[in-house]
Amino acid sequence: MAAMTSHPATLFSISTGSPEPIYRQLIDQLRRLIAAGQLAPGDVLPSVRDVAQTLALNPMTVSKSYNMLETEGLLQRSRGIGMLVASHRGRARPAGERERLLRPTLARAAQEARQLELDPAAALALFKKILEEDL
Amino acid sequence: MNASVVNIAAVSKSFGAQPVLDGVDWNIAAGKVVGLLGRNGAGKSTLLECTLGLREVDAGGVTLFGDPVARLSDATRARIGYVPQKPELFEWLTPIQLLAYFQAQYPRWNAAKVDGLLTRWGFSGNMRRKPVGIMSVGEKQRLSIIRALAHDPDLLILDEPVASLDPAGRRDFLRELIDDVIERDTTVIFSTHILSDLERVALDVAFLKDGKIALQSPLDELLESARRITGPSAALSALRFADEIRREPGAAGIVSILARPSVTEMAALGAEGSRLQVEALSLEDLFVEVTK
Repeated sequence: MAAMTSHPATLFSISTGSPEPIYRQLIDQLRRLIAAGQLAPGDVLPSVRDVAQTLALNPMTVSKSYNMLETEGLLQRSRGIGMLVASHRGRARPAGERERLLRPTLARAAQEARQLELDPAAALALFKKILEEDL
Repeated sequence: MNASVVNIAAVSKSFGAQPVLDGVDWNIAAGKVVGLLGRNGAGKSTLLECTLGLREVDAGGVTLFGDPVARLSDATRARIGYVPQKPELFEWLTPIQLLAYFQAQYPRWNAAKVDGLLTRWGFSGNMRRKPVGIMSVGEKQRLSIIRALAHDPDLLILDEPVASLDPAGRRDFLRELIDDVIERDTTVIFSTHILSDLERVALDVAFLKDGKIALQSPLDELLESARRITGPSAALSALRFADEIRREPGAAGIVSILARPSVTEMAALGAEGSRLQVEALSLEDLFVEVTK
């Protein structure tokens, strides 16, 4: 088994004075780092305490980001090691739960579709097209 | 853990004919780190001094850890740390003498922490024997912070604690505060105009305006929900938000609204299309808008 890669807290950088809350900035950075492959499945994230100390942040802010990404299945908690990048993106959570995560976004889209008086078939066709564009 | 550490009920305070606090209600639960914001002269220092029982209130009451502030037990008193806006230290004493004096007043005193802070914050060698009176304002402020942290308080009240410190000194102070919060779940009330510091450590913010807490919210939720909506009054006069903070008529029939729209209200705004400008705000913008 390959040795685990651990990342230092300097992985993150945040900016104050932004309309975007700091916990969101941390989440977005992690998503990007994982998407770009700079963080690989099984990599160990710096501890909440390390990040809080290095970036001078309230530890609750850091744990909020980690917990939200764990709920999403992007991170995985491992006893005695800490937070890891999940090995099987998306497969970590059952489909029902992943659908539940998507529901609020779709509910908003549905509301806007009704306000724009788009008929359901047209809205669904558009969504299908967008889904396929990303492949 | 959710018992309230600070309970302020209907506190009013005037200086002569000038009302400063006008029925302030404010509750702070254990382990919270709250930023107190307000314009110069809004009464932040007065509110913090009333909270500590350093000023008599005209009406209302304050309890700390359940004790009425006018009759704090010695045990409760020992759980509180305070950094005043202007360091009030005995000017003729050296740092070592000063800290020894305070050490004698407290049953709990973290000597290792004090020694570490003195060394890291520039009080080594000759500085330890320099009278406080001839120190710079920044040095006095650092010493005042060390004194307030020395007895491992459960409640820390900080009134512009870092106004005289440079950015590196402020960062050192924030790290120390974060250590305290991590290690001991300290409850902190932090008044400052340095909003970047507040964003790093405060989970909640409270705005003092017109003698009252005008707005109190978890900071993340406030940033995520507050929007400035600008547009012609013809489009906006009929729009009402359940959580509207202020509404201001501007020049040329343009209206500006600060609100926290619900999901439904957001969708309604989206349907208005390009007639309206809807912006998310930074804490600095929010400060300007809320304290107008």
